[in-house]
Amino acid sequence: MADEQAPYAGPGTSPGTAVGDRPADVDVIVVGAGPAGAAAALAAARAGASVVLLERGPFPGSKNVYGGVIYGRILDAVLPNWWEEVPVERWVVRRSTMVLTETQALTVDFRTQTWAGPPYNGMTAYRADFDSWLAGKATAAGARLVTSTVATGLLRDAAGRVVGVRTDRTDGELRARVVIAADGVNSFLAKESGLLPKADPKHHTLGVKEVLSLPREVIDERFGLRGQEGLDIEMLGNTRGIPGGGFLYTNSDTVSIGAVLALPGLAAAKVRPEEIIADLKAHPAIAPYLRGATVKEYAAHLIPEGGYDHMPALATDGLLIAGDAAGMTLAAGIWLEGVNFAIGSGLVAGRVAAEAAAAGDASKKRLARYRDELEKQFVLADHKRLRGAPEIILSERIQRRYPGLVADLVESLFTVTNPEPKPGALALLRRAAKRNGVSLRELARDGLRIGKVFR
Amino acid sequence: MTNATGDGARGGGPLVVVCLRVTDLRPEVDPLTGVVTRSAHGAGLSAADEAALERALAIARAWSGRVLAVAAGSPIVEGPLRAAAALGAAVLRVAWPPHDEADGHGAAPGAASAVNAASAVDPEPFGPRAAYLADLAGDTRALAEVLVDAIRTVGEPTLVLCGDLSPDRGTGALPAQLAHALGAAQALGLVSLTPTDDGWLLAERRLDGGRRERLRVPTPAVCSAEAAGLRLRRAALPALLAAGDAPVPAARPTRPAVGAVEVVDVRAYRPRARVVPPPAGATPRDRLLALTGALVAHDPPTIIGPTDAGQAADALVAYLVRNGYLTA
Ligand SMILES: Cc1cc2nc3c(=O)[nH]c(=O)nc-3n(C[C@H](O)[C@H](O)[C@H](O)COP(=O)(O)OP(=O)(O)OC[C@H]3O[C@@H](n4cnc5c(N)ncnc54)[C@H](O)[C@@H]3O)c2cc1C
Repeated sequence: MADEQAPYAGPGTSPGTAVGDRPADVDVIVVGAGPAGAAAALAAARAGASVVLLERGPFPGSKNVYGGVIYGRILDAVLPNWWEEVPVERWVVRRSTMVLTETQALTVDFRTQTWAGPPYNGMTAYRADFDSWLAGKATAAGARLVTSTVATGLLRDAAGRVVGVRTDRTDGELRARVVIAADGVNSFLAKESGLLPKADPKHHTLGVKEVLSLPREVIDERFGLRGQEGLDIEMLGNTRGIPGGGFLYTNSDTVSIGAVLALPGLAAAKVRPEEIIADLKAHPAIAPYLRGATVKEYAAHLIPEGGYDHMPALATDGLLIAGDAAGMTLAAGIWLEGVNFAIGSGLVAGRVAAEAAAAGDASKKRLARYRDELEKQFVLADHKRLRGAPEIILSERIQRRYPGLVADLVESLFTVTNPEPKPGALALLRRAAKRNGVSLRELARDGLRIGKVFR
Repeated sequence: MTNATGDGARGGGPLVVVCLRVTDLRPEVDPLTGVVTRSAHGAGLSAADEAALERALAIARAWSGRVLAVAAGSPIVEGPLRAAAALGAAVLRVAWPPHDEADGHGAAPGAASAVNAASAVDPEPFGPRAAYLADLAGDTRALAEVLVDAIRTVGEPTLVLCGDLSPDRGTGALPAQLAHALGAAQALGLVSLTPTDDGWLLAERRLDGGRRERLRVPTPAVCSAEAAGLRLRRAALPALLAAGDAPVPAARPTRPAVGAVEVVDVRAYRPRARVVPPPAGATPRDRLLALTGALVAHDPPTIIGPTDAGQAADALVAYLVRNGYLTA
């Protein structure tokens, strides 16, 4: 590592400078080999630090759940021409946004061939493949990945500074100059450190999804795709009034379909999440896509959706938190981006941790650079700009009334009522708004609010 | 051939060898074509092989001996071997089936390693597909001889342990071949194995009717056993970190990979001929027509998929009813 006074002292090598009561075994411990952790380990190792990356699963990505689209441009910082080797299922060239009621569907369908070639835009990928690939980059840079090992707690010195982690293995204490908690949503380490408050269900959603098998040619034919082209559908409505939305993504020979549901709404509705997926699968606009598909996998996972206003402090003495552990998923309606934010935050956390270790100063003050740098980048800049999005997206009217309003309006516009003459568009809007319990004033107010949030 | 490394190699005492089969424990089978895809993520040891390793460690401790874990395969076997090294075994990989590893297949450490288990997606992590399948189809004698050669570079084993069956080959014949090649006693398909004070082994094996037989097994011996009655140990963190960095020595077989049985041709399954009464018909032509069903109008084949299992079953039942095989 860079600091000559504090040489690398990994297990089996000479002891290093004392950190707290005992010497540090390594410069940086990263807990969790998801996108945030792998990126942190990679950046720290590249910055010259000795790194141990702990993962509880048997391999990176073995336990990880997400919808299925990764926005890869952040990987420019990892590897030039990353698209030549990243384990991709399909490159998204079509994005559809669907507004659903029980019987209606309005789809805005966008397609561009620009996204079919480098540097691409979104890609569908399996997390078992993607996370293993990214962690492989970290180990290639010198980080040591330890799997099937759970970090069970933080080690602190007499002054209360974090100086390592405890694991579930014999002699399982490991000391480091800096610990990065990248252990995902509801992070136990971040909570133990006092950075993350007790999870508030209001700021979390439950993501559930099924992976369904369909032959590759059938997917190509049904979704109008060729080769490695992919489709990403976001859905609003048809979730039995539970705030949230649905998604459908195409992989090579499977389709992921799922829903993201607000926890309080789900609890109040007393509906099991798989029933919402069943509703989506049975919707007349979706069912024909999935005819004959067989379920291969079912998964559920929490998503932090509090956004900027509910993000915890990101550093304390000896500890940084990154990715979902710090609530960094951007869930703003048409955007559900977590993996790129996790990688973005992980890369910065890794570098800042390595520099702090090299400087022999892992104080909270020094580690505050992490947040400063994230503010300058998309990670916190996007969150800050869209800070009002979670609230408005999950609001009652957007979730329960507007899907019906929009669908009714479009249906009445396209319904030919001869011999009655065509009514004016404003009259139709009034009628649709009334039928769905929305006043035109509320409509205008929400329009302004949305405009302000997404400006 | 390089010498094996690891803590266990340093001690003296009897040598207990465990032979580990690393395979994809969750291969994907295409339901339509039957093509099997093996991925590095599923690479690991069967429960019986894990138990064999545990038994080897326990027996070696009782005998104040040392353990050597051997696995034959592509570099993907290094993952489980490192895990064994972290538990104190010396380890040795036998490059098998013999082929050029310079092509990079399976070069990533295996997924079951607890250290540095990440790998890029390798389409053939277990080596070239054809070589892998040919090895499965062949008999295990050549492999047994190569394993014994490799083991003898470390020492003469007092006991060789295996799981009862490998998940992919599944014959359970390798231990018998090993015993033959070593000139050792054998006791296979055991449920328990305990060392006695006088250097023998006490083994139990299932019999019909829920009974068990007890065997006193002399050494040197080769024993295979089920995954029964054991609690597996986990490696300590420092040992795991140390093993994660250590190179795994590889032995390259010098003998040709030909077994006692050479598979020259693979044919379709041919059941025994059944006597079928001659068809009705006055002339040979009528009988031929009746037999072949030629010149009779048939339902054209119907494609009913993709559909869900329930609908497919309904369609099949309707077909059978329509054609008189089932009553409605
Ligand atoms: C249903 C659903 C759909 C989603 N869709 C998308 C999408 O389409 N696109 C997108 O970009 N994002 C999506 N997300 C969000 C995305 O999954 C997350 O933002 C992202 O995975 C966060 O990465 P991470 O590394 O912070 O955490 P995780 O991916 O959760 O990784 C945490 C890692 O830490 C390990 N770990 C946890 N605790 C310990 C411990 N104590 N010791 C050792 N290891 C530990 C875990 O095993 C895991 O490997 C979705 C999420 C869900 C649930």
